[in-house]
Formats: sequence, structure tokens, C-alpha cells
Amino acid sequence: MNNTAMNQTDCPEVKVPFPVFFTVGIVSLAENLLVVVAVIRTRNLHSPMYCFMCSLAAFNTIASLSKTWENLMIVFADVGHLKKRGPTETDLDDVMDSLLCMSFVGSISSFLAIAVDRYITIFHALRYHNIMTMQRTGAILGLIWTLCAVLAVLMVKFSDSYFIIICFIVFFIISLAAICFLYVYMFMMARIHARNIAALPGCGRDKSQHKRRWGSNMRGALTLTILFGAFVVCWAPFFVHLIIIMVCPLNPYCECYRSLFQLHVVLMMSHALIDPAIYAFRMAELRHTFRKRLFCLKWKL
Amino acid sequence: MDRWWLGPGSFSGASLHPGFYNRFDMSDFHNRSQVSARRSDYIWQYEYYDDEEPVSFDGLKAHRYSIVIGFWVGLAVFVIFMFFVLTLLTKTGGPHQENPDSVEKHQRPEGRLVEFNGHQEENDKAFSRPLLEGSRSYFNFYISEEDQAQEKQKPEDKKRSTKVIAGRHLCSSEIDEMDEDNEESGGHQPLNGLTENSMTDRECAFMSHFNIPNFVNLDQSSTLGEDDLLYEPSVVLERQSQAYNAHRDTH
Repeated sequence: MNNTAMNQTDCPEVKVPFPVFFTVGIVSLAENLLVVVAVIRTRNLHSPMYCFMCSLAAFNTIASLSKTWENLMIVFADVGHLKKRGPTETDLDDVMDSLLCMSFVGSISSFLAIAVDRYITIFHALRYHNIMTMQRTGAILGLIWTLCAVLAVLMVKFSDSYFIIICFIVFFIISLAAICFLYVYMFMMARIHARNIAALPGCGRDKSQHKRRWGSNMRGALTLTILFGAFVVCWAPFFVHLIIIMVCPLNPYCECYRSLFQLHVVLMMSHALIDPAIYAFRMAELRHTFRKRLFCLKWKL
Repeated sequence: MDRWWLGPGSFSGASLHPGFYNRFDMSDFHNRSQVSARRSDYIWQYEYYDDEEPVSFDGLKAHRYSIVIGFWVGLAVFVIFMFFVLTLLTKTGGPHQENPDSVEKHQRPEGRLVEFNGHQEENDKAFSRPLLEGSRSYFNFYISEEDQAQEKQKPEDKKRSTKVIAGRHLCSSEIDEMDEDNEESGGHQPLNGLTENSMTDRECAFMSHFNIPNFVNLDQSSTLGEDDLLYEPSVVLERQSQAYNAHRDTH
């Protein structure tokens, strides 16, 4: 009777086909691995900002790797090659889930670190090299990675406790607010600077100047919207899912939201895919490095 | 162990539905109670719900996906609202406000520049650096080249040049097209318009003191064509050099 009641659910779970997971996972793995290798192997990219971007790319690599591996295991288990409840499988599952948690927390921390680094660049510009030395960068990155590893192990060990989930959600909301504030503040300062330059005598008097400046201002607003909007659109659905699980486990409306879980996970993985495009590949130095290496590779071949 | 909040996407088949921890054994109630006996702690609560009240879809007033639709509509509205707020921020203090300010701002360059000549390490007044940071933003990359070429021997200038390299990295992140233009013209060469401007040595030295890495040039990102780069920095340079010369002449 209970089973028939379950089968009567009007919101069946929406399943994302495995090829989609695999494609997103492998492409994001390739991109982020490329960024990590490029930053590590190029001497002149050893600056704090590139280190934070490398850390972000590394976390995204771990996320796509563990998600792809998990999907592979699910495929094998569906086909029948693997047992679902065997001891090795559950241990492997523990490891994969903790890697996923670690990469989620780490990605968010890396975004925060990048925003703070950019903020210091603008508002403490003359002291930037004293504030953000490579030693401090290394210490910050070590702290982030250690914290993420510890949190991941804790989350996986105590996953049935609501407290951990609440901490996760609170961390996400605080990071979101901090990133939003930092970027909007930097954007406002950039506007003021641009206006002041425009107000210099002799500058910014003719219509074409205004039009050009308006166009570039629009592009600035668009850049910031893409940066922040992609973060929110890709991460918020999963966190709303967590909130809904805690708040209304039995509500039918909530169950319909929960049935879209795999779509939300695909969204998070696609954020790992677009991260290099909006952070790393916008840096001219990195693009320059890639082009040089590609030319060397082509020349050698 | 099932991570129920990671959902059915996880290998061990953790369920998104409380009390429904094993999606692969849906039809076997006996199996479920056995498994629940092993994980008595959190499953026990959900087993209670599960036996008494399955989620029923009868008598729904609104559409069953209303939370989903409401969430995505809210998210879209938030992103579009944020975009409009940002564009509004660009428009406040627009062209009509520049005329009365122009006289005041004419005085500002000398004052600010002298301030910076004297107090290189004071940087807590964010608002006192607007002109310099903004103007530096256009051509940090070429200033670093100048700086490296001219003042390699001095230790403090070497420090500054490394700052500017960082600045170049930072500001180049947002100046896509500018850097592409540069790369196409063969590496980090000074802009043609700037070299045609015949900068004096004094101006170069003056400029190279103000190596403030400025990352955010969101306003200049990717829309500045070459004519922008040729026109605006050259005009800014001319004006600033004139202001500087005027200031020097008065002392």
C-alpha cells in the first residue's frame, strides 16, 4: 500500500542522462586542469591573484573528477558490475562525497579570496605588495585547503545532523553577501574614477566620448552581472534544495522542487565549466601563455 | 552511509525523499525495514512519517511546480534587477553634472598629484586617488615597460615596477580588447597614439611614480576600440602634463 502511494507521486524525479553528466564533467575537467598546469608551470604567473585562480581551478577539477567518477560507478552499478552496498563501494562513496563537499566549500572560498584580493588591489593599492605577499598567499591557500578538507570529512561523517547543513547554508549566504558587496563597491569606485577622468578639462566633452563611455560602462555592468549572476544561478538551486529538505520534507510542492535535484547538480557542474571562461581566460597573461604553448606544441609537431 | 541531502545523484542511492533511502528497492518493504533497523537513528523519524502519511497530491490549490517556477522567476528578477542597478549607477552623475564640476576638478589634478609626490605610502583615502587610478588604468601595461626600461637600478622603483606588473596582470584582466590589440601589435608595446604624443622624459618619470595597480576597469572592459585608446590616454596625458608643468612653474 505504501509503495503504491509512493508510485502515485505526480512529480517523478527528473533524471539527467549520463552522457550529459559525462560531457560536462570531462570538459570542465580538461579546462580546469589546463588552467592549473599553466599557472604552475609558468614562472611569471606566480602572483597572488593567479594563485587564487589556480586554487579555484583545482577545486573545480576535483569536483568534476569526483562527480564523473561517481557517475561511472553508478553506470557500472546499474549494469550490474558493482554491488551497491558492498563495503568497498560505501567507502568509495564516502571518499567521493567528501571530495565533492570539499570542492564545493573550496570553490566558494576561492571566489571570496579572489574578490578580497581584487578589493585590496584597488583600495590599498600602494601597499598591495606588502599586504599580499606570496608567503601570505600561501598561508591563506593552505588555510583554505585545510579547512575545506576538515569540513568535508565532518560533513560526511555527520551528514545526518541538521547542524552541518545549516552551517553549510549560512556559509554560502555569508560568502554571497560578501562577494556581492565587494564587487558592487569596486564597481562604484570605478564609476567615480571614470567620471572624474571624464571631467578633466578637455576630456569628455563631445557626444562620441559620452557614447563610448556609456558603452563601456554598460559592458562593465554586464561583466559584473555575468560574474555574480553565474555564481548565484548555478549555486542557489542546490542550497534552496538543502533548505527545503530541512524545512518542508512532506509538502508536495517541496517534493516537486526536490525532484529536480539532478538538474541542480548539473548546474553546479556547469559552473565549474564556465568558471575558467569568466575568471582565468579573461586574464591576458594567461591567454598569452596558452597561445605560446600551443604554438610551441604545433611547431614541435 | 547515505547522504540523503546529496540526493539520488550519489552512488549509494541516497534518496531525496525522507524515509525513501533506497530507491533501488522501492518495492520491497521487508528490505526497507531491515535496512532501517541498521540505521535506526535518522531513518526512524522518517519511517514514522512514511508509514502514517505519504505525501499526497490531492487538493493542490496551485500548480505543483509552483515553488520551482517561483524560485526561477525570483532569481531571474534578481539578476536583471542587479544589472539595472549597476547601469543606473553608471548614469548617476552623468554628463549634465560635469560642467559645474569641471572648474573644481581642474584644480584637483595638481593637488592630488602633489599629494602623491609627497606621500607615496598613504593610500587609505580611496577617494583621493580617483584621477590617478583611472588614468593609470588605461596604460598600466606600458608604464611598466617604461618603468622597467628606465629605472631598473633603483630598488624602490624596482619594487614599484613589480607592483605595476601585478597591476598589469590585474588590470589586464578586464581590458580584453586592449590587450588583444597590444598582443597583435607585437607584445606589450606602447600604444601608437601615445608614442606619437612625444612624451618628455619628465613626463615619463612623473608617470612612472604613480604605478597604482588598478584592477577594475569594468568601464573599459572589452569595448574600447583602438581609437578610444589613442584618444583618451593621450588627452589625459597632455592635460596632466600641462597641469603638472603649470604647478611646477608656479613654485
